[in-house]
Amino acid sequence: MRKIFTLQSLLKTATIASALLFTLATGPMSHAQEPTTLTLALHWEPSFQPTQEAFDAAFMERHPEIKIEVIYNTWADHNAIVPTWAAAGELPDIVYTHGSRATPWAAGEICANLDSYIETDEDFNVEGIFPVALEQYQYEGNQYALPYDHGVILLGYNKDAFDTAGMAYPDETWTMDNFREAAVALTIPGQQWGFGGYYNGIPLAGEGAVSFLGPWGGASFNETEDALLFDSEGSRTALNFWYGLMAEGVIPNQEDVGSMGGGQIMYTGQDAMWAMASWETPAFADLAAFAWDVAPWPEGPEGRVTGAFGSGFCITSQSKNPDAAWLYLSEYLSEEGMIAMWGETGRGSPAREAAYQSWIDSELSPDNAEFYLEALAEYAVNGRPYASVTGPEIIDVINQNQTLLNTGEITVEQFITNVKEQTDPIFAREN
Amino acid sequence: MALMPKRFFRLTMRQREARDFYLCILPWLIGFILFTGGPVLYSFFISLTNWTGMSTREWVGFQNYIDLFTVDPLFKTVLANTFVYGVGSVWLGLVVAVGIAILMNQKVPGISIFRAIYYLPSVTSGIAIAIMWAWMFNPRSGLINYVLSLVGIDGPGWFSSSQWAMTGLVIVSLWGIGPNMMILLAGLQGIPQHLYDAAKIDGANAWQEFIHVTLPMLSPIILYVTVISIIGSFQIFENVLVLTNGGPGTSTRVLVFDLYQNAFVNSRMGYASAQAWILCIIIMFMTWLMFRISKRSVYYEGTEE
Repeated sequence: MRKIFTLQSLLKTATIASALLFTLATGPMSHAQEPTTLTLALHWEPSFQPTQEAFDAAFMERHPEIKIEVIYNTWADHNAIVPTWAAAGELPDIVYTHGSRATPWAAGEICANLDSYIETDEDFNVEGIFPVALEQYQYEGNQYALPYDHGVILLGYNKDAFDTAGMAYPDETWTMDNFREAAVALTIPGQQWGFGGYYNGIPLAGEGAVSFLGPWGGASFNETEDALLFDSEGSRTALNFWYGLMAEGVIPNQEDVGSMGGGQIMYTGQDAMWAMASWETPAFADLAAFAWDVAPWPEGPEGRVTGAFGSGFCITSQSKNPDAAWLYLSEYLSEEGMIAMWGETGRGSPAREAAYQSWIDSELSPDNAEFYLEALAEYAVNGRPYASVTGPEIIDVINQNQTLLNTGEITVEQFITNVKEQTDPIFAREN
Repeated sequence: MALMPKRFFRLTMRQREARDFYLCILPWLIGFILFTGGPVLYSFFISLTNWTGMSTREWVGFQNYIDLFTVDPLFKTVLANTFVYGVGSVWLGLVVAVGIAILMNQKVPGISIFRAIYYLPSVTSGIAIAIMWAWMFNPRSGLINYVLSLVGIDGPGWFSSSQWAMTGLVIVSLWGIGPNMMILLAGLQGIPQHLYDAAKIDGANAWQEFIHVTLPMLSPIILYVTVISIIGSFQIFENVLVLTNGGPGTSTRVLVFDLYQNAFVNSRMGYASAQAWILCIIIMFMTWLMFRISKRSVYYEGTEE
C-alpha cells in the first residue's frame, strides 16, 4: 500500500503551517481607526462586575476614543499577580491597590507618581477626599495612588443577643469598662462569645491594632515605623486586657476559631459583639440571619481612637496610556463615580465625604452607619504599618508569635520578648 | 554552476534516524530551555541580587546565601521542620505504601476495584483535599478526634497546637501514596513466582519470604519510590498553606512555604531565589546520598553482587 504521509512530509507540512500562522498573526494591520485600549486589573467578584461594566460602558460612551478592558483577579491572588506582571513588563494601565500595598508598590515602581496630574487637573477635587485616606497612598511626600474607599472599625453588635439578655445596646457613652462588663455578661459557654474580636482574632498590626491597642495609648509601630511598641505601657495593658478576655472564654481562641471557622462564628450570630469595619457591612447584610447594628468604638483610658484603612487605584509606571488612565481615574474617583460605584451600591464607604451619605443611605449599610462618618472625622487613625517596605516581613513575625499567644502556649510577656528579638534584625537591616 | 552529485546529500539510515530524533525532540527541547532551563539559570542570577521583584536590583554576590545561614534565625528552624516532615512522611508513606501494595497484590475477586479506590485520592485536587483534612482533624467536630474519643482518648487540637501540627501534616501526606503504591504493586507483580516456590521448598514461612524474597527483589523500586518521595517531601507547600499557614508559631514553617513568604509576601525575591537554590542543592545531595547507600542495600537482578 502506498504511504500517503511520511514523517518527513508531516514535519514539512507542520513547519510551513506554523510559519503561515505566525505571519498572519504578526503581520501588519491598520491601527488608524482603533481606540486607545485602557487595561484595568481589579478583583471584583462576579456579583459586582455588572456595576463595573455599567460604569465602563458609560465612560466609553462619553469617550469613544478609549476602550476599557478589565482583568479580574481573585482577591487572594491579586497582590501576588501584580508584582509578577511588573517583573515581566506586562502591567496593565490601572491596578487596584490595597492600602497595605501602597508603599511597596510605590517604592517598587509599580505605581506612578500622580502629583503632576492632581496639580494640573482643575476638575479633580482632591480636597474632597478624606486626608486620612490620601495619606495612606503617599510615599516620600508624593501621591502614588488614590483611594476609593476608606473604612473605619466600629463596634458591631447582635441586637438579638442583647434583647435576649435584656441589656441596652452599646452607645457613644460606652467605655472599655462598660464594654468588658457587657462582653462577660453576654458570654454563654459553648453557645455564644461576648466578643468576637476582629474577624475572630485580636489584631496586632494594621488598622485593627489601632482599635485594640490605641484606647490604652498603645500601638504596634512607632510613627516612623522603624520600631515596635508592644513593650510600651499602653500596649502591654491592652494586650493583657484582650488576652485576659480570651482566657476567660469571652473571645474565641485559636481552637474555637479552628473548629468553627471565623466566618461561621460571626455570621451565625455566635458573637454578641465584634469589631466591624465598614467594608464588612455588605457581607453581614447578605449573610447574617439576625438583627445587628454598629456603635462607636468604646473609649479607653487614653481616649477614643479606632483604626482606619482602605483601598485605591494607581496608574502603573509601565502604562502606555497614562493620560487616558488619568482621565478614567479622575471620573472613576470623582464624587459621582464613587456614588455610582461604591455609595449607592452599598459596596463600601467612599473616600469622599460628599459621596459618603449615599453609602449611609444604601440598603446594605447598617442603621447607625453615620457613626462611621463621625469616626472618620473625629477619631480614626490609619493602621500601621503603611509607610514601610519591610512591613509585611514584620507582620509575618508578629503573626507567627501571635498564633502561640492565641493557643496559650506563650504569655503576653513572652510574646513581647519574642517579637522584639525576631524583628530587631529586620529593622537593623533596613535602617 | 555544476550540480553537486545527488549522493552528496544522501544520508545514511543512522543519520536520518538521528535527524528525525532531533527534529522530534526539538519542540520539547526549546520549551525546556525557554520555560525551565532559562528561568532556573535566571533564578541563580536573581539570588545574587537584592531584587524585590519590582524595582531595579543591586548585585550583592553571595550575601543572600551568607545571610540565610548567619543572620536569619528562622532559616535553621525552617530547615529542621523540612527534614522532620521529610523523614516522617517518606518513611511512614513508604511502609504504608508497601503494605497496601502487598494487600493489593492478592488474588481475590474485585481486587481491581480496591486498587482504583486506593489510587483515586491521587487524582483529586490538592486544595480541596487539604480543606477536607482540616475538617477531619477539627478538634471538636472532626472524625479523627471522634474515633479517638471512642477508645477513651481526648484528641489534641491538631493544627492549633505546635506540638501536634507537624504530626497532622505527616498523616495528611499519606493521602498521596496512591502513585507509589501502584509503582510498588507493579514491582511486586514482576517478582518471579519460582523464587517463592524455591523459598517454600526451603521451608520459608510468609515472613521469611517477605524478608528474603520480596524485599530484595523490590529494593530497586523502593529506592526509586524513596528518592521521588524525598524530593516531593522537600517541596511540600499547599497543605502547609491551607492547613497551618506555617504555624502555630513556626512549628510547620517548611522551606517552600518560607520561600513563598519571602518572594511573594515580603518582596524579597533575591533572598527567596537563594532559598530555592539551597533547596535544589539539598535535594541533589539527598538523591546522591540515597544512591550511595543503595549500592550496598539494593539488589539488581542480573548484576554481580
